[in-house]
Amino acid sequence: MLQPNLKEEEGIEAIETWNVGEQQELEGDEESKLSIALDINSTCAKVAFFIISKSMNSPTPQFVPSRLGIYEPIHQIGIWGENFKSNGNPNTSTSVIVEVDNKLENESETTSHEMLTASKNYEQEASKPIDKIQRRLAQNREAARKSRLRKKAYVQQLENSRLKLIQLEQELQRARQQGLYMGGVLEGSHIGFSGTVNSEDSVGIAAFEMEYGRWVDVQHRQICELRTALNAHISDIELRILVESGIGHYFELFRMKSTVAKADVFYVISGVWKTSAERFFSWIGGFRPSELLKVLVPQLDPLTEQQILEVCNLKQSCQQAEDALSQGMEKLQETVSSTVAGGPVDEVSYIPQVATAMEKLEALVSFVNQADHLRQETLQQMSRILTTCQAARGLLALGEYFHRLRALSTLWATRPPEPSLP
Amino acid sequence: MQQAIPYKSLPLPCIDATSHRARSTTTLGHNGRGKDVLNIVSENAVIVLARKGCCMSHVVRRLLLTLGVNPAVHEIDEENEAGILNELGTICKGTENNKMVQLPAVFIGGRLFGGLDKVMATHISGDLISVLKDAGALWL
Repeated sequence: MLQPNLKEEEGIEAIETWNVGEQQELEGDEESKLSIALDINSTCAKVAFFIISKSMNSPTPQFVPSRLGIYEPIHQIGIWGENFKSNGNPNTSTSVIVEVDNKLENESETTSHEMLTASKNYEQEASKPIDKIQRRLAQNREAARKSRLRKKAYVQQLENSRLKLIQLEQELQRARQQGLYMGGVLEGSHIGFSGTVNSEDSVGIAAFEMEYGRWVDVQHRQICELRTALNAHISDIELRILVESGIGHYFELFRMKSTVAKADVFYVISGVWKTSAERFFSWIGGFRPSELLKVLVPQLDPLTEQQILEVCNLKQSCQQAEDALSQGMEKLQETVSSTVAGGPVDEVSYIPQVATAMEKLEALVSFVNQADHLRQETLQQMSRILTTCQAARGLLALGEYFHRLRALSTLWATRPPEPSLP
Repeated sequence: MQQAIPYKSLPLPCIDATSHRARSTTTLGHNGRGKDVLNIVSENAVIVLARKGCCMSHVVRRLLLTLGVNPAVHEIDEENEAGILNELGTICKGTENNKMVQLPAVFIGGRLFGGLDKVMATHISGDLISVLKDAGALWL
């Protein structure tokens, strides 16, 4: 028993944390045992790894790091003993790397570790095939290297996010001091932006951003399911279920938007929550129903005569409704503009105009709701006109379309810079 | 916010036979009561009740105009709003709507049809034209 002896004797003053990423190469001649002393004074979870080599006589590991950094050697001996008792095969060497807690923190993690090898429990089994050991050690090294790289990338990401957060907070401070009411938009903000001073709004927006991220993931999954289902030619009844859940998923988005519109309608209308290419097509905070039909219809062939007629009527109705809403929006713009501009400019008291304008802007919430309502009705009408199979194809086409737009946005954002002129 | 839309200037695809009934927007004065509103509602094939300066009523009107209907628009002052809505609420309880009447409210054929929501939904499903025809707001 190496470690307990050591621990009990030395009283564990030495405190090291060992990250698998920092694992040093093991010597090839022997199956060396490495153990890590836990930082029992630390109250944070640390990464701890240890390798246990197996042998018939091999003792069980003496300590297991718990989440609190406290270990109880006596307790764990029994547990580990059961897990790691080899079953009478002296020729197998099992190296077990156990990753107990890989929560990475910004605290410094010492890279050095004490290698405590005891000569006592030296492996008698030098007869074990050397190359097997070598291979395992090489794999270990590989894994360690990869882990190091991953950790590096993650820390880099964290640092970037932190800097971005500080930047945004500073901008926010500056802008607040400048304006009475801020309605600007910070491009590419993904940390949650609110133009008002109301902290509840930013909570609503942050919640929406999280939910929307999940929504997109579910959407992607649904599209893949639809694709598989259509290729597999499943029954209509099963397909109907997929179609219903697909349409319902869009309705869910409209509900989410309605909630966050109450918190900050400008946030919804600006479309910052969408990718840049999607934003390009934005109309009152979302897609244009008539555009949607243009995307869908070519994918739905063949359509019956009756269906063609109904789709044509739907296109026209959509267009008319969109025009009505657009004109309403223009009216609102005129109203707000004239209100804000009203009153003498050589006086400093613009508060009454601004207050009136604020009231009028409340109507924006209605516009967002009405636009979403129109999108909802259009989707429902399409599902009435189409057969189940056509509806499934339509949903697939729609989802794929938005997916491609998102991909386009990413590509655009990462395109190589244009070469500068000599 | 009062506009009179001359009949001749409208690019209507179909003949609006009820145009002689259509008035320019009227406003209930301070003596406005629910009964007056009801009278006006029953006199018009299509009428929109809205708050003053409401942009949503503009949307409703534009939509109905594209269908060839020139609806009367009745603007309600803020002070009278609560009283009128109450009256309408009690009177319209018999029909489908149990909720409070929301503005803008559209009345077709003398009966409460619904708000902008209802109009949009009916329009998309293709039923609005037949509803208007039944009420005599559209001929053809």
